[in-house]
Amino acid sequence: MSRKEIIAVILFILATVITIAGVVGVEAYRRRELYTVELTARAPEHGNWYPQEITVPLGEEVRILIRNIDTVSHGFALPDFEVAVPEIKAGQVAVVQFVANKSGTFPFLCTVWCAGRHMEMRGELIVE
Amino acid sequence: MKNKIIVMLSLGGLFILLILAGLPSPASAHHSPACLITRAKDSPKLPSPTSAQAPEEKLFEIKARNFVFTPNVIQVNQGDLVRIRLISEDVHHGLYLDGYEIQTSALPGQEGTLTFVANKTGRFTFRCSVTCGEFHPYMVGYLVVEPNSPFFIYVFLTIALALANLAFVVLRRS
Amino acid sequence: MSEDKLFGLIDLNFRFELTKFKLVRALCKSRWLPLLLILFNLFIFVIILLAGLFGGYSAGNYNFGIMMVWILWWVLLILMLVPGFARMWCLMCPFPIFSDWAQRGKLFEVRQGKLGGLNLKWPKRLSSMWVLNLAFLATTFFSGFFTVRPFATFILLGIIILVAFLTGLVFQKRTFCLYLCPVSGFQGLYSQFATAEVRRKDPEICKKHTPKTCFVGNEKGYGCPWLRTPFDFAKNTYCGLCLECFKTCPHDNMALNLRPPGVDLLVDTKREPRGLDEAYKAFIMLGIAIVFYLAFQGPWGVIKDMVRATTLEGYLGYITFHTVFNLLIIPGIFFLFAYLSKLFSGNKEVPLKKIFTNFSYTLVPLGLGVWIGFSLGIILPNGSYLLHILSDPFAWGWNLFGTAHFPWTPVLTHLLGYLQGATLIVFYLFSIAYGFRSSRQTYPDLPQARRGWIPMLGLLTLITTAFLWLFMG
Repeated sequence: MSRKEIIAVILFILATVITIAGVVGVEAYRRRELYTVELTARAPEHGNWYPQEITVPLGEEVRILIRNIDTVSHGFALPDFEVAVPEIKAGQVAVVQFVANKSGTFPFLCTVWCAGRHMEMRGELIVE
Repeated sequence: MKNKIIVMLSLGGLFILLILAGLPSPASAHHSPACLITRAKDSPKLPSPTSAQAPEEKLFEIKARNFVFTPNVIQVNQGDLVRIRLISEDVHHGLYLDGYEIQTSALPGQEGTLTFVANKTGRFTFRCSVTCGEFHPYMVGYLVVEPNSPFFIYVFLTIALALANLAFVVLRRS
Repeated sequence: MSEDKLFGLIDLNFRFELTKFKLVRALCKSRWLPLLLILFNLFIFVIILLAGLFGGYSAGNYNFGIMMVWILWWVLLILMLVPGFARMWCLMCPFPIFSDWAQRGKLFEVRQGKLGGLNLKWPKRLSSMWVLNLAFLATTFFSGFFTVRPFATFILLGIIILVAFLTGLVFQKRTFCLYLCPVSGFQGLYSQFATAEVRRKDPEICKKHTPKTCFVGNEKGYGCPWLRTPFDFAKNTYCGLCLECFKTCPHDNMALNLRPPGVDLLVDTKREPRGLDEAYKAFIMLGIAIVFYLAFQGPWGVIKDMVRATTLEGYLGYITFHTVFNLLIIPGIFFLFAYLSKLFSGNKEVPLKKIFTNFSYTLVPLGLGVWIGFSLGIILPNGSYLLHILSDPFAWGWNLFGTAHFPWTPVLTHLLGYLQGATLIVFYLFSIAYGFRSSRQTYPDLPQARRGWIPMLGLLTLITTAFLWLFMG
């Protein structure tokens, strides 16, 4: 194999395998460093909050990455900790941040009329 | 080479001419009180009528649901004062009107309103401006401001070109 | 033909040779040229596939895969690549790289001797645009899904890549590109209108030159992967612009030319005859444009519900109507006018099939104009999403270029109708300019050609008016 052939093969690998590994790797690292948990939002008809139960330890700072992977707008509210995002548009993300300073089970819910079963779009945060 | 440039220029010129032919006079486009987003209560003054009919006030209740506006085509005359109430029957929808570049949005139980003077003639598309589901980019309706002169100018031009071609074909000797 | 001038101004034989510039010639002869572009697009499409996979069923307008393929790629293809540079996309398309590599065993260097794989010949009976026509038509059945659902685009691209690879293992060279790829057919058809071409320079040099290295290949490059004969081909339709013939020609006799648009529409030689397959491609493209406009840029909810399959009956109705409309109704109307043309001309000898086929090529410029109009209606309202998805390709909250929060902003949509209408009329002009020439080629003498042209002129004017009504009325 000539030098040019080797360069071409390296470029091919860069464009495929390295790109895939790079994207997945960077995102995994970013998630671990920046967020406690990832929460995806979909209307109840298409999967609801996922996960619907989030468990966090007492007294620590919680950072939730909320990803709206739906085709309509959603909102997020966790009334007991006074955090809310009025509207997260489809395909967008939001980050909420608070200190889990009391233990118990607290509801979080969607605050935008997103579908017929909007009222069922709820989940629970468990602090223990 | 020279000929090619001439053709390029004349084709380009024709293209621009066509666009200009359809445009309303530029003065009316920017300096009139048309491009207002107002609540239904404050009514902007009507401009001096430019069309034959006396301008009227027209109210449309547009219901948005499942990627469709109802009514999907609304017709007014040039100079009319148009009021639109946007009512959503499922999720958050919006309404953006091409040409007039104004928009509003509505949630279920919370309607949006739009008031403007239809001083530009032609057909304008209004589009949903809030992602409302997978077919959101295809959720459109038409506002037709009569007389739809751009359309007729273009059709006449097409027919004129056809006749010119016919004349050329018939008169051609070789 | 020697002094034939388009609109009485441009000589149809006019050519401007781009390869007379040293840099262009060097680029065409470099083995890096298609390869680097292909590798770059491979990188882009790997991201598109990832975004399609991770995007799942999320909103298409905020998905990198959907936006890059159906907004950027499609619009670039229709607006610039095909009308300007023919099959320029085929030059840089990354999908066949896997089978090319498998056949050749090398990415950059030239393999000597037989290529790998089974190297079978594609059946002669299928060596036309018919499979492409049906493949493309079948693909459009699902356009209500893959233009809005990231995962559907992932599946579509996955199938294309897989079939391209498998076809390359079994059949010779670029059989997939020639006879199977869904987007190959319309690029081929509309490339006949393109303002660029690859052709040999001096026929005398080619005549004396044996063996024909452009066809069989040599140590500098492969014999035409698209199975053309670069030493004498005269039509853009199946030239993939892969530039191998620039590399294999020892006499530097290949040229990349600029030319008046549409001259291939008059080519009808024994090796590259006009055919019903290409005629049908022109009908299908026109029909799909109508159906797509009604469904995606029209305000009618009933059609949208059918296309996105809210009910099975509605969806089957759409598929049935779409198929019948494209394969029967449009060709039927055209056939009627071809028959009228024969009647008007008074000629009894010319076969109706010839009239039908010859005139169908006049739909090429008009069809391209219609598609440019349709594509303007996609890019102007939705182009601003591109800024978002470039910064946040996987909807993970990235912001690579700081444009992730750029709001949806329609661009120049106040001019949309005018732009669409004006494009249509300019391409209509080309259609009627070539239409009469086709009539001259069809009928033996001028009076017959004149009379036979009148019904076709009427039909083209009618189609243009109908589209003006769709775009502006």
